[in-house]
Order: sequence, then C-alpha cells, then structure tokens
Amino acid sequence: MLGFRLAAQKPPDATRITDAVVMRFEHIYEVDPELMSEHIQQQDLPAWDTLRIVESRWEHLAWMHDHFADSVVSGEELLKEIEAEG
Amino acid sequence: MAVAALPDTLLDELTAICGADHVFTGRSALFNRARVPSPFPLHRWEDHIPQAVVLPTSAEQISEVVKLANRHRVPVVPRAGGTGLTDGAVPLKHGIVVDVKLMNRILEIDIEDRTVTVQPGINMLKLSEELRPLGFIYPDNPASYPCSLVGGRIGTSGWSLIGGRFGHTRDLVISFEIVLPTGDIIRVGDGGGKKVRKSSSGYQLKHLFMGHQGTLGIVTEATLELVKRPEAEFSAFYAFPTYLDAWKATGELARSGVSTLAGVVLFDEWKLDYLRRDDEAYIPQPDWVKAVVAVAAYGNADELRVGARRLLRVGAESGGTYLGDEISQGDWASRHDRYATPLHGRTRNGQVVPMSWHCEDASILYSKLPEVREKWHRIADGLRERFDMFDDWGMFSYTNGAFKPWGDYLTEIDIGIWEMEWDDESWAAWVDAKREIARIAIESGGSISACHGSCREGEVDLVPLELGGGFEVMKQIKKTLDPLNVMNPGKYLLDSAYEDRADEED
Repeated sequence: MLGFRLAAQKPPDATRITDAVVMRFEHIYEVDPELMSEHIQQQDLPAWDTLRIVESRWEHLAWMHDHFADSVVSGEELLKEIEAEG
Repeated sequence: MAVAALPDTLLDELTAICGADHVFTGRSALFNRARVPSPFPLHRWEDHIPQAVVLPTSAEQISEVVKLANRHRVPVVPRAGGTGLTDGAVPLKHGIVVDVKLMNRILEIDIEDRTVTVQPGINMLKLSEELRPLGFIYPDNPASYPCSLVGGRIGTSGWSLIGGRFGHTRDLVISFEIVLPTGDIIRVGDGGGKKVRKSSSGYQLKHLFMGHQGTLGIVTEATLELVKRPEAEFSAFYAFPTYLDAWKATGELARSGVSTLAGVVLFDEWKLDYLRRDDEAYIPQPDWVKAVVAVAAYGNADELRVGARRLLRVGAESGGTYLGDEISQGDWASRHDRYATPLHGRTRNGQVVPMSWHCEDASILYSKLPEVREKWHRIADGLRERFDMFDDWGMFSYTNGAFKPWGDYLTEIDIGIWEMEWDDESWAAWVDAKREIARIAIESGGSISACHGSCREGEVDLVPLELGGGFEVMKQIKKTLDPLNVMNPGKYLLDSAYEDRADEED
C-alpha cells in the first residue's frame, strides 16, 4: 500500500524575494529559513499542505466579507467607470 | 506566591448557589482565568490566579454570589471573553472569578422597535450569524470580534472598527441590567424603558456603568441595536511616498462627508517595514511605498457606490495610489486576524522568535498625530536597545468618532514581546515605557486610551492626571456603590478610596 511520501510533495526550490523573504510558489512567501535557525526551526511542509493553507485563507476572507454585507464593491471597476466618464 | 484556598464552607455556599457543575477550583480552571492577552508577567503568574471560578446561569445566581462575597469579604472579578487589553478581568487580589460564558442566549428580537436583548456571554460574531436570516446585524466590530463577548464590551466601553458608521459599544447598547457590588440588581439606560434610545429623565447612568472594567458590577442582560444588514461593502487601500502625505490624505478622507464611511486608518513607516517582513500584500510593494491609508464603507448598494466613487476621487486627489482590489478587500477582511494568528517577531539580529502582540492605545488629536508618532517610536527603540525581547511593529491611527469620523484618532503602537523572557527588570522597563506613552498622549491633549481602558500597571498612575477632579468623583462613586471594596479590587487606583477605612481598622 502506498502511504504519504514527503518526497513526492517536495516544494520547489526557493527564489529570493527580499533580504528576509523567499518564495516557492507564485505569490506565496515565506521567511528566509536562515532567519529560523536559532530559536524556531522551520517545519517541512508538503506542497499540498501549503496550498491547502493558502486556499483556506481565501475561503476565510470570502466568508468574512459575506458575514458583514451581501456584496463587495470593486474599486478597480469604479475607477474604470470614472476613467471612462472622463 | 501561593494563594490560600477558600474555606470549604464558602465553597459549599457557592455550590449551593450555582450548582456543583458550575464551581471550579482546579489548577487549569484557575490559571486559565488569571490573564488576558495584554502583556502579563509570566514569571509572577501565581500572583494573579483566582481562588475559585463560578459559571452562573442567571442574574439571581450572580446576585447571590456577590452577596456571599460581601459577607465573607472576598473579591469578586467579572470575566466575559477575557480578551480585554487592560487587565480588567485579571484577578489582582485573587478571590472568585464570575465567568459569564454560560449566559449566552438571545432573549428577545424586537423587529418593530429594532432591538435585540441578549445575555452577556454571547459573542458578536455569533449574534450576527443568528440575526442574518432576519436581515440584521449587530455591528460592534472590534479586532476581537470572533472571540469577545457583549458583557466585556460593556465593561470596557469598547471601540468598533466600523464605529464611524454604526457607532461604538456605548452607542449600540441601549440599556442593560447589572448586579451592583452589593448584590442589588438594577437596569440602566438613557431613561426608564429598556428600549428607549434617548431620554432626558434623571442622570445618564448608562455611561457610568460602561467602561468601569468590572469595578462597579456584573452585567447580566443587555438590549442592543438591531441594525439592517448592509447590502454592500467597499474598502480601498492607498499607498503614499511619505507619512505626512498619507496623514494629510487621512484628514481629507475622514472629512469627506461620505455618509456610508465607516472608518479611515493610517499605517506609518514602521508599520510598513513590519508588514514587508511577512505580509503577502506588502512584501511585493515597491520601495517608494512608505505609508498606507485605508477606508471602509457600508450601506445600501446604490448609495455605497456613489460614496465609494467620492472616496476614490479624494484618495487620488490627495496623492494616493490605489493598491488594487486584492489588497483592499483582502486586508480589510483580515482585520480580526491578530486575535487568531500565531505571531512572531525578530530579535535584533533578525532571528525569528515567538512573540505576543501588544498595542498601547490612546485617543490622539489629528493635528498631533505626527509628533506623537515620533515620540512613541523613540520609546519603543529604547526598549529594544535594552532588551532583545521587544520589537516595534509600527503604528496605526484610526478615526475615533462615532458617526462623525474626524477629530481624534484611536492611535496604537504595536509592540511584539517575547514573553518567555520576562523578568523583573524587563517588566519594570515595560511598565515605565507604558507610563511614558500615556504621558505623551495626555500632554498632547489626548486621552490614555480610546478603546482598551487604562487600568494596567504604568499608565494607571496617570489616570488622576488625566481626569483631574473627576478622579476624586470616581473614588466617591466606587466607595458609595461598593462599600466593602469586593468588586474587582486593585483596579484604577480605586483602593485609595478606602484608605480612611484602612486607617480606622489599624
């Protein structure tokens, strides 16, 4: 029986974004692992778990919008309207 | 310092009042009710644990517990969500914690007169979920919205993130029932009828019993505003190259006259530096972005669109660059995260450490925001230089007025604290820093606190300075309503009201 294998979910190599931040998935940032070496060790997360956390985050934000109002007005759309009107 | 257990006879009486299943003396029950999220001297945890915890289910039970406490001269400390930031629910003198979490029912929804009457243990998020099918919301919206409770909001006289549109706790609570420190049960509001919003009959007692941090009684029922659920929400975040540009824009937006505007918030350069470490919205921002201003609005869809267009125009004319829908909508929706997200900060060498979030808040006049910001950051710098356990997470300023979002601002400096490192020296330095932060707020013509209260070590020393002769009136009221000083003693320097009695007993 095949069980979970971390190796099969190995995240991509990191790309440096700033002095303190790296990125492995598009728009998903993480603290430079070098900064998590003295007091807190960074955990190994399989790729699916990182993506699950990010998706859950979007779900939470959508829920919070919906909790307070029936709809959300887009600033980008309003700016286009204003621009079109001159 | 170990605290003595309460006598068995007293515990038997508590059990007779509340029931055996609602009286707790175990270590977990006591220690978990010793602190709130504000910085806490972990190295002196045992100084603050209660001797018993009760979870009553009625006003009558609470009344009997308070009368019992008077007979035995044992402190009583009310506790709701335990999310306050000024130690109101911390049992400084031990005693009995009255935890109201089991009193969490909705008692009445009056659609005709637009009120909802609840018990104090209900949470605002949960209440709004229950009201949604009827087309209503209860818009008291602190950062602790998912976890704070109505009773605590009254005890704190809380501040709401959307108070500029809907009002703050004092504006949303119409009346409430409270057990006085003697055990008597009364109802306070603007007048007699519990659903009346405006009355000129007698003293306005609602405000007296709001924001007392548990020193004047325990709320057992509240009648609240029932507000039509907004059809639409709008939020916009603008970037600015300097703090002063952003500050000017904040004033323009706050004074724009848009009736659906719920609030304007200004993030300073230190806040941007902090967010660039870890926040996916700010990490990719170009270097020229040094400050951010955000607005939020709620209302009917048609009026909201008109107001939003005005806000976008004012933001642009003030030099702001709209940061796009993803940040504007996402960051606004994440406004309660600080109570739910594990936080970390950085030591001076950049290493990640677990830190508690803390913010010192004040009411600061708009005209004084730039100078207060500089003075507060200097205090935070001094702390960090001395102790590698503090981290300056920046400041924000938020429109503070209910329905009229201009004039003064809830201003906070967020400081990360590596609390496992506390010792007496660092704690003393922190208390000194808090006192200086409060002093600057007062000297600028502001108030020590806009939303948390001001009864913790440090800033509480300056409450008499801020209130002047009003503080003497506070003491007289406290002594009159609580002659034996059993209701949450040790708070707000109010023990000094009883110094004559101590002299007599000596």
